[in-house]
Amino acid sequence: MIEAHDLSRRYGDFTAVDGVSFAAADHEILGMLGPNGAGKTTTIRMITGFLPPTAGRVTIAGRDLFESPTEVRRHLGYLPENVALYPEMRVEEYLLYRARLEGLTGGGVRTAVGEAVERCMLEEVRHQIIGTISKGFRQRVGLATAILHRPGVLVLDEPTVGLDPKQIISIRELIRELGRERTLLLSTHILPEVELLCDRVIIIDRGRIAAEGTPESLRRSWVGNPSLRVTLKDAPAAAPAVLEGLAGVLAVRSGAGGPGSFVLECDRAADPREEVFRAAVERGWVLLELALEAPTLEEVFVRLTTHEQPLEGGGATEPGEAGSPPEAPPPPPPAAGSGSSEVPS
Amino acid sequence: MKALQATFLRELRAYFVSPLAYLVMFFFLIYNGAVFAAVVSVLNDPRSGGTERPMDQLFQGFFFWIILCFITTVLTMRLLSEELRSGSIEVLMTAPITEVQVVVGKYLAALTFYCALWVPTVAYAGIVARYSHVDWGPIAGGYFGIFCLGALFLSVGVLFSALSKSQLLAAIMTFVVLVAVLFLIGLLDNLFNGEVAKQALGYVNLFGHMEEFHRGIVDSRHLIYYGSAIFFFLFLASRALEDRKWR
Repeated sequence: MIEAHDLSRRYGDFTAVDGVSFAAADHEILGMLGPNGAGKTTTIRMITGFLPPTAGRVTIAGRDLFESPTEVRRHLGYLPENVALYPEMRVEEYLLYRARLEGLTGGGVRTAVGEAVERCMLEEVRHQIIGTISKGFRQRVGLATAILHRPGVLVLDEPTVGLDPKQIISIRELIRELGRERTLLLSTHILPEVELLCDRVIIIDRGRIAAEGTPESLRRSWVGNPSLRVTLKDAPAAAPAVLEGLAGVLAVRSGAGGPGSFVLECDRAADPREEVFRAAVERGWVLLELALEAPTLEEVFVRLTTHEQPLEGGGATEPGEAGSPPEAPPPPPPAAGSGSSEVPS
Repeated sequence: MKALQATFLRELRAYFVSPLAYLVMFFFLIYNGAVFAAVVSVLNDPRSGGTERPMDQLFQGFFFWIILCFITTVLTMRLLSEELRSGSIEVLMTAPITEVQVVVGKYLAALTFYCALWVPTVAYAGIVARYSHVDWGPIAGGYFGIFCLGALFLSVGVLFSALSKSQLLAAIMTFVVLVAVLFLIGLLDNLFNGEVAKQALGYVNLFGHMEEFHRGIVDSRHLIYYGSAIFFFLFLASRALEDRKWR
């Protein structure tokens, strides 16, 4: 259980984090999203006790972090964004040291290290010198360090950075498993990761919580209308007008795929794909592409954190699930074919 | 206590796996060996007149002080600077350990390694004893003085290491401060002739302390002086480590 009450942090005149409050329950994976410089890492450092907040309080497993820091840290596992290890030590040696640092004794030390090595798949580098292992392995040593003492609360800052796709899958599996047993706060840039892993998400922007909720509720409340991508061969001149006239289509914009490509903003309840198909057949147009794009968390993110398009009612937390979404211009269409899932920064 | 012990053992091990430590050890022994050889050859010269306490020569003079400043600097420069530079301080300070435990653990590791460096030099006393008479009391006093001075200098080094992310800067500051303070003490001692000034300086005159130590005099006032100075510097180092949070 993590509770942050009204956390603020100032560096001189600059306010990095401004009145952030949230709670992560037991057995919950809470995702933390935000563009670079939004205050994610500062928030995380305050929660782990590395940085004291300028104002506010942190409670972990029911105990105040500032009243009993060493006691609280026993219940806390932390993987920082920049995993710095001692390069001259061997992996196992380092883990043994960390286990003792965490206050484990006797046979408990070896057992804990063995378990962490197994869970983080470090068997093959167990006896290697940390300075010689790859970034992916170092990341996993960091993760092993965080779970070594079986803490009730885990804080992971960008845990899958630097891993290859296969490792990412296994680490995500591990994170999901870990989240079942404890409270897990996960900060990440990778949006599919949030959708895959997190029970709830908070989006931090400019030091404040911009939105909070389950990935589904965020998508529902913050992203307006689905869009339909249509590509017609030879770009018929009448196309925009015809498409705009179809039932369920609110607006037509030209798409990224050249002159014949359009993006149709559709009514939420409507699925005008059939109408588009019929219209094309009637006029003898050749339909090259027809794809309905459901709003993604990425769009929520972009909308909440792009300041060129100020949001009416922005900064609200958890807009009512049944309430109407704030009126805002449609999000920019994702770059065609890029398949990028990284948050633009 | 467990955390302090874990830090101490890790640091001590770090010395023994780093090439720098072996280089320091190698250089240190060559250096002291050369100084010892020089002392022996000078004392063997009929014109020198010899001395009652040949080992004294190893515990005083420019060569002794400069190596003392040098090795204490090299042994401490990495301790906290490297943690600050690499960022490993973050995982360290989010473990259940206090700043004081970190500082003391690292300091004790440096002190242990420092003592280990001096152990082989006892062989010189053995060599002298083989061919001439050796009074072991003053030698023990001399080594005790080396321990006290080293302990003090290392605490200064730990402080500067906590103040800088750069090992090099930490090393330069430590070395400059140590040499400057020693130089200043020597200078002031020569400048002032007044009874009160002499007495006041006597309390802080490290050369004077060392001279007493290697004559076999261990004055409790000196012990209190070293103890409180070490406490002060280590306290400052742990505060420096804490202060980093508030910036």
